[in-house]
Amino acid sequence: MNPTVDFPTTRTISENLIVEPADIVLHGTNRQQQLLVTFISANAESLDVTHRCQIAIAGPSVASVTGSTLSARMDGSTHALVSFGKLEVKVPLRVENCEVYPPIHFASDIVPVLSKLGCNSGGCHGRVQGQNGFKLSVFGYDPQADYDAIVKESRGRRIFLSSPSDSLLVQKATANVAHGGGRRLKEDSTEFELLHRWIEQGLPRGSESAPRLIGLNVSPTERVLAAGDKQQILATAIFSDGIQRDVSHASNYASNATTVAEVTQSGLVRCGELSGDAAITINYMGQVAVVQIHRPRATLGQAYPTLPVNNRIDELVGAKLAKMGLLPSESASDTMFLRRLFLDVIGTLPTSDEVREFLADLDPYKRVRWIERVLERPEYADYWALKWADILLVDKEKLGDRGAFEFHRWLREQFERNRPYHEWVREVLTATGNSGRNGPVNFYRAADTPDALARTVSQAFLGVRIECAQCHHHPFDRWSQSDFYGLAGFFQGLERKPLALDRTLLVHSGYQPMVIPLSNAPVATRPLGVETAPDLTRTDPRVVLADWLTSNDNPWFARSFANRLWKQLLGRGLVEPEDDMRLTNPATNDPLMAFLAQQAIDANFDQKVLLRLILNSRVYQTSSVPNDNNQDDDQNFSHYYVKRLPAEVLLDAISSSTGVPETFPGQPLGTRALQLWDNRLPSYFLEIFGRPPRNSPCECGRSSEPTMAQALHISNAPEVESKIGDDAGRIAKWLSTISSDVSQRLKPDTEMSLVNEICLVTLGRLPRSTERNVAQALFATSNSRQAAEDFMWTMLNSYDFLFIQ
Amino acid sequence: MLPSFCDGMDRRGFLRVGSLGGLSMAELMRLQHLQAVEATGSSSAKKKDVNCIFIFIIGGMAHQDLWDPKPDAPSEIRGEFSPIKTVVPGIQLTSLLPNVAQVTDKLAILRSMTHGDPDHTAGYHVMMTGVHPGTGPAFNRTTTNNNVHPSLGSTVAKLGRNDSSLPPYISIPNFLNSGGPSFLGASCAPFVIEADPASPEFAVRDIVLPEGVTSDRSLRRQSALRAVNAFERRVEAMSKQVQSLDTFYEKAYNLMTSQAAKEAFEIGREDEATREAYGMTSLGQCCLMARRLVESGCRFVSIENGHWDTHRKNAMSLRDLLVPPLDLGLSALLRDLDSRGMLESTLVVVTTEFGRTPRINAMAGRDHWPAAFSIIMAGGGLKSGLTIGTTDKQAASVIDRPITPADMAATILSVLGIDPQTVVHTPVGRPVQVGGGGRPISELI
Repeated sequence: MNPTVDFPTTRTISENLIVEPADIVLHGTNRQQQLLVTFISANAESLDVTHRCQIAIAGPSVASVTGSTLSARMDGSTHALVSFGKLEVKVPLRVENCEVYPPIHFASDIVPVLSKLGCNSGGCHGRVQGQNGFKLSVFGYDPQADYDAIVKESRGRRIFLSSPSDSLLVQKATANVAHGGGRRLKEDSTEFELLHRWIEQGLPRGSESAPRLIGLNVSPTERVLAAGDKQQILATAIFSDGIQRDVSHASNYASNATTVAEVTQSGLVRCGELSGDAAITINYMGQVAVVQIHRPRATLGQAYPTLPVNNRIDELVGAKLAKMGLLPSESASDTMFLRRLFLDVIGTLPTSDEVREFLADLDPYKRVRWIERVLERPEYADYWALKWADILLVDKEKLGDRGAFEFHRWLREQFERNRPYHEWVREVLTATGNSGRNGPVNFYRAADTPDALARTVSQAFLGVRIECAQCHHHPFDRWSQSDFYGLAGFFQGLERKPLALDRTLLVHSGYQPMVIPLSNAPVATRPLGVETAPDLTRTDPRVVLADWLTSNDNPWFARSFANRLWKQLLGRGLVEPEDDMRLTNPATNDPLMAFLAQQAIDANFDQKVLLRLILNSRVYQTSSVPNDNNQDDDQNFSHYYVKRLPAEVLLDAISSSTGVPETFPGQPLGTRALQLWDNRLPSYFLEIFGRPPRNSPCECGRSSEPTMAQALHISNAPEVESKIGDDAGRIAKWLSTISSDVSQRLKPDTEMSLVNEICLVTLGRLPRSTERNVAQALFATSNSRQAAEDFMWTMLNSYDFLFIQ
Repeated sequence: MLPSFCDGMDRRGFLRVGSLGGLSMAELMRLQHLQAVEATGSSSAKKKDVNCIFIFIIGGMAHQDLWDPKPDAPSEIRGEFSPIKTVVPGIQLTSLLPNVAQVTDKLAILRSMTHGDPDHTAGYHVMMTGVHPGTGPAFNRTTTNNNVHPSLGSTVAKLGRNDSSLPPYISIPNFLNSGGPSFLGASCAPFVIEADPASPEFAVRDIVLPEGVTSDRSLRRQSALRAVNAFERRVEAMSKQVQSLDTFYEKAYNLMTSQAAKEAFEIGREDEATREAYGMTSLGQCCLMARRLVESGCRFVSIENGHWDTHRKNAMSLRDLLVPPLDLGLSALLRDLDSRGMLESTLVVVTTEFGRTPRINAMAGRDHWPAAFSIIMAGGGLKSGLTIGTTDKQAASVIDRPITPADMAATILSVLGIDPQTVVHTPVGRPVQVGGGGRPISELI
């Protein structure tokens, strides 16, 4: 971690210098080997010295060294001498069968080159329509087609057998011939040599029985680094015959947080100035692995303090904060906590009476009690039904009035009864019958093909985005087309019979085999990551899927559930995006993720138990105001991350603050935006503040991005102004209850109690001195009614109103 | 006077700052820095940005009855409009376009547009984004307010330089199907006027103060808000969201207070002769409004004009209702831009979701025809006074130089200074080119 190292003074064969691999074997198919050299400092920290140590070969005729990469020269045995300061390690080195260049296998040798050079990427020849007449399968998922494209298409003009280097394929890649993609290949590279040899060997496809790639190992898997630190990654491919091949330079690398750590395409990570966590994804031929990089803040200059703990969540978050050198913000004030609690859990502002009552409550456990109170409010079901209606595509345009109404009503009922999550999900997964009577049947109208259902079910309930694998191997995950269509198979054979009044009768007529489109290859129906296909002939296959999906052993179900709840309350998922769970997108706090998932299972998926646990933590009750130490942190919950009120919540908040309910066409008087089942109800307000279109099983459809139209609307719209100034609204009513003449300035006490009231209903707190001064200035200028309205306007437009803090 | 409000500034000073963007100097510099960072394309900042007026003819514009006459075809194909000469020797239009015929030297006719989808919704999408919506996950033929790929206007809002106080992407008189930002998010959505500038009551939503709020009162409110929010500046760093809302508030505030910006929307400031020249029709006045908006720095104005789905009484509808406003509006727009020296820096596009069938049907109408149709491009430094591509004798299929919607998109973006190969990522992380993988039409550039 510390870049300046105290060199040991005695010359030893040291246990403090570790060279990987410990035993180097170079052979025909592994002609090069990247070394990874790690120094273990006196305080047991690991430091990568790969690019700072000396590497020599005892017998230079056997192998040579360039940088930290060894290359075979001739068969024989010797050793590599690696020294760093006074430390030295001797690593045995053997070269076998290197005279014979082994037969090249197109799929395992040439396709990786096309991936590494970017030829088959989605922006180039991997595009659906190819690029300039040359089309490769994206990320090389179809080597057969790629072979034909290179060797046979365009009358074979891409290859020149008798002079490999003059082949158009090589000439374009080296940009000796004009190439839109520029120069991708250097003449002195191993990739060039491979391509050249392959053409020279007569373009072999390679043997059917050639060893298959079965795994990818990386080292290290996790490392703590400081600003400017570098870390080499060693990537090793494992083949079915046990052969290992160094693919450190043949893999593709990507960082999910480039401001924290960048990575080069030869696997060298470099940490930047920002602290935080980064996951480095390594992809070699559809095999993926991840290296987690933690970059703490520079040392605190003091011992890490003991943080107060309410429950296990605080211990787990605290451990990560300590690791990252982050100090949490102070505890949220009572009013900050109360407004946050109401808005996060029930999408509703506390009333002025509720704020006063809370402030007057002297019970040290009042937050615990009020959490219970809020969880029992009727708005709870409204808000969570809205949230799940977004995810489960409850779109009136697609489902019709009755379908959308019925599905929404059913969802609301699940939350009203606090039905365990796995139970209601099972009911959705196995729904049959009349869409006008059984709400969840409409799920099969919103997602109306096996493909759409595979995508939606895996993303909504497992947090696994498998849709990439519909067309090609998932670039950052293990999923292939057979996984995708294996899952889709559970929904094959569903029948949707149209009924009168825009309803559908849904029945499953039993298992039907599935094939992958285009190739027509049959594919076994099986859950994600399960190799053996279950027996589906006895029942509706969806029952088998539901058993697997909702079981306690499912690797994603509980985590996805817990992660969604965490995100709703804390503003950022432990895995983010919250529905993109994969090896290469690790949780920023995996022990906490695992703990919450286990809690969900132990609580039998009772949502309120989990919410209660999180709400009672210190972490949830931390202030949103950052300190100097933690203001850059957006991953580890050192402070509460502010968020804008969602569209419906904001509209309701304006209505409740002004005391003038919104009227929605065709809805009963007093209906709140939170309760709307009709997501297409014309509403300029909801439209511009980001009501989602509900066409993707993703919370990302709900936009909280600010726009100019929003700012104009809230500050200038007649609709908002008329609420503020309504004769039956809060201000007019309040003024009518006092005896004084409102054309005169109010008595100071009266005036201040009106100002207090406006602050309480909008911001959930009493005014600060700035707000009092502003209010007094307004009241000094205009009559009471107008001044109060101006103050209400100011509050509604303030950050403290628009954001949950 | 209210000392705690205006930072000691009198009202006039306040407005003067307002016209600078309503920002403090530091904020202004921050904003300009951001824009400089965000600006893509040409490195020569001196070159004037090209803005776009994008006229979308909704329903499907009969190419053979306007832009691609086939006088030698049998009568059930050629229709009833005879060809007329234009100011460009060798280019003929139909008799429906007498005014455009006088400015044909200022425009290019692309006669070989082609895509395969006869569906309106898919047609809007492919012609407004360059990308066919396909049968991808988000696609739903009844979906009207969302799309699979960002519209060209949204792409310009995202990637284009924008230093005006107007929104970068404005849509009049209505929101256009498939004109949305898709995954680029709400900040790239069009600012929709939702009012017809031809109407005497025309007003733009939310930019004028609501009834009962005088400008003095509004100033008091704005000052109060600044004072209250100033407290938050201390913690502004806590959220990028707060910061960007801050920017939008300042821009909105500027729009409300800046006379110049607000005047852009006041079509009544044009003299009667100018308004008449464009035609007192929705399309005509939208064209005039669009000119005012690009003049004030809006980067992309889209105009929607409906009712062109002429399955019945095609010729009558075109002659009596639909084409005259376009003929007048478009020709006036090109002349006006030219005389103001704005034609080089304004790209005008007239496009549609598809053409119409060669053969006139039993109801004297023409049906959907996506295999071959025409669109218009003018200004923006493009070559003009030419046609590109040809169709066969029945205007039924492209026989030379097919142009795809992606090529159209790539052309528009590159004229506006955006590399059409710029890659953006969909929510699942798939990289896609903003221009849909098309190539700019080299004959025009």
